[in-house]
Amino acid sequence: MKLTKARALVIIAFSVPIAIELRTVAGFFNIDLPLIAIAVIEFLFLALMFVLYGLYGEGSESAS
Amino acid sequence: MATASGPARTFVDRFPSEAGVIKANLLVSFVALGIGAFFGLVQALHRTDILRVIDSADYYTMLTGHGVLLAIVFTIFFLTGFFHWATARSLDRPAVSTLYSWAWFGLMTTGTVLATIAILGGLVPNLGISADVLFTFYAPLQAHPIFYIGLAMFIVGTWLAGADWFLSYRAWRSDNKGERIPLQMFMVLTTMIMWYLATLGVAVSVVFFLIPWSLGLIPSVNPLLTRTLFWYFGHPIVYFWLMPAYMMWYTILPKLSGGRLFSDPLARVVFLLFLLLSTPVGIHHQYLDPGIAEGFKFIAMTNTMFLLLPSLLTAFTAVASMEHGARQRGGEGYLRWLGALPWRDPAFTGMALAGILFAAGGFSGMINAGMNINYLIHNTLWVPGHFHLTVGTAVALTMMAGSYWLVPQLTGTKLYSRPIGLLQVIMWFVGMVFMSNAMHRAGLAGIPRRTAEPQYQNFEFLTPIGSIFELRVQIALGGTLLFLSVVLFLFNILLTSLGEESDRPVDEYLPEPLSGPEGSPRVLDNLGLWTGIAVVLVILAYTLPLAGIIQNGGGLFGGGLPIPATVSAGLDFVTTLVTTTVNTLLEVAA
Ligand code: HEM
Ligand SMILES: [Cu+2]
Repeated sequence: MKLTKARALVIIAFSVPIAIELRTVAGFFNIDLPLIAIAVIEFLFLALMFVLYGLYGEGSESAS
Repeated sequence: MATASGPARTFVDRFPSEAGVIKANLLVSFVALGIGAFFGLVQALHRTDILRVIDSADYYTMLTGHGVLLAIVFTIFFLTGFFHWATARSLDRPAVSTLYSWAWFGLMTTGTVLATIAILGGLVPNLGISADVLFTFYAPLQAHPIFYIGLAMFIVGTWLAGADWFLSYRAWRSDNKGERIPLQMFMVLTTMIMWYLATLGVAVSVVFFLIPWSLGLIPSVNPLLTRTLFWYFGHPIVYFWLMPAYMMWYTILPKLSGGRLFSDPLARVVFLLFLLLSTPVGIHHQYLDPGIAEGFKFIAMTNTMFLLLPSLLTAFTAVASMEHGARQRGGEGYLRWLGALPWRDPAFTGMALAGILFAAGGFSGMINAGMNINYLIHNTLWVPGHFHLTVGTAVALTMMAGSYWLVPQLTGTKLYSRPIGLLQVIMWFVGMVFMSNAMHRAGLAGIPRRTAEPQYQNFEFLTPIGSIFELRVQIALGGTLLFLSVVLFLFNILLTSLGEESDRPVDEYLPEPLSGPEGSPRVLDNLGLWTGIAVVLVILAYTLPLAGIIQNGGGLFGGGLPIPATVSAGLDFVTTLVTTTVNTLLEVAA
């Protein structure tokens, strides 16, 4: 499946609640994630999306 | 009016006068959205102490404006416009009288302007007009009479609007004897019956108590009575907001996802359940009100839990219809079909994202509804966290997304920009995730709602994870994204309406459901029967509590010392009332 701009945007949107609640989930296992760790994880995820978009997404969105 | 230049392209060509009325309704709705969102931004920045442009003393004025303009004006004017569209479209006939349609629109708008003047008057010192009573207008907070008068005009306007749609339906019925009510029309009618039943409470409260009190004609009111009458209406108004969104999820979303509605009869059942159950639950907003017996609160809680059923049915139908659409578009696998949905279309994506946040709001709503855990979060920021997911997103975002598909039918122009639309709905989702998540967490930490200064001296709120400061930043960031999202929306809609006429503004065809109404029991369409049952349920749920409140709370107009109402006191009051009435009648007859 092609990674269109729209799909990439929606995936990024979904990553936000997951990132925010990651600390709660880690808390269940008694791991204290600092805010900066979350920021780094989300940043890495965004970088990954950019790479994937570069590899699999076509700049222009033709079919979807 | 392009009827001369060939076949009708879209709604505006077939129903030009209706389109005019609908556009006017949407205009008022969107102006309210813009102003209300701006107030929201001011509040979000103010109470988090990030940026303060107003005086804390003016916070309630802003908050009243925000609540009234968004939760009442934006949502309900959108609803009246949308229902007017749905009535003409689904019956395929114009309204009975255009003049009459403009009359109810005019009444609603005049009422809105009066109430808004009263609210904004609070910002002008020495004017002597203010209405800092919040959108719940609880006594003993008192507004200038024109606030209540405006409100009453607005509500009467919605009644007249409902009559407009009932008249269309009657005219259609006389031409189509024995046919099933078209689905969208069915939804309009059931929603309006619920609204008539529900607004009786607020009408009595405003006309008999609050207006005379604000004019000084009566010295006091029974605050618990007016509060109870408010919440008698205050819960069903939730469904009044939601029903247009549900209607879009049932009748438009399946088409946008490339498929058809899963089941027409199931949709009818859901709307009937809302008609029956949405009013006899209002007391669930009053779990902490002292004058109401626990037993009545328990009944309200039980009914509330039943109300989950139609919402779960809706979640099932909406997802099933989307999956059907995705598979029509070539989607496969257990979950991979999700990728085949038309995510590029802001109308689709906005509604889908709204539905997802609604599920989250449903979960936090169950916490609110539980009589005992409600104590944990009552009147904290958790509550605004919850309803910004429901009315603030499930409804508001669905309405904005739906506009991307609806407005081109009214203007005959193409949507100005799909990418901006997509960005807008995504920004709303992300902004709301930030703001509402932090509000829920702040509420758990005990931070109150409706306060400009949540920073108490010599007292620290504690959070289990992170810090209060992070939560404040999260709220401010979310609020800013939300405001920008509204700006993008308004900009996109404005440029759409200014655009050039197009031959095919939007694909407005709505396909038939997979399972149509034919096989379903005809009794579903017997609106008289369902109205009767709804009235009986309301009488059962409210007679005793109201009787108790009047008897023990110092009478209809207060003044006396309140005693907590009990079930037996309510029962006593009703039996005395009934026996004296019967005796008097017998004496008169004799
Ligand atoms: C621009 C987006 C928005 C922002 C930044 C925003 C922000 C806020 C904030 C911070 C509060 C809580 C204030 C407090 O309790 O002290 C609030 C309350 C409220 N909001 Fe929003 N909001 C937005 C959109 C909406 C929408 C779309 C709706 C409904 C359709 C809505 C309805 C309400 C209501 C009913 C209240 C409660 C008012 C009261 O307590 O009397 N908001 N909003
Ligand atoms: Cu409620």
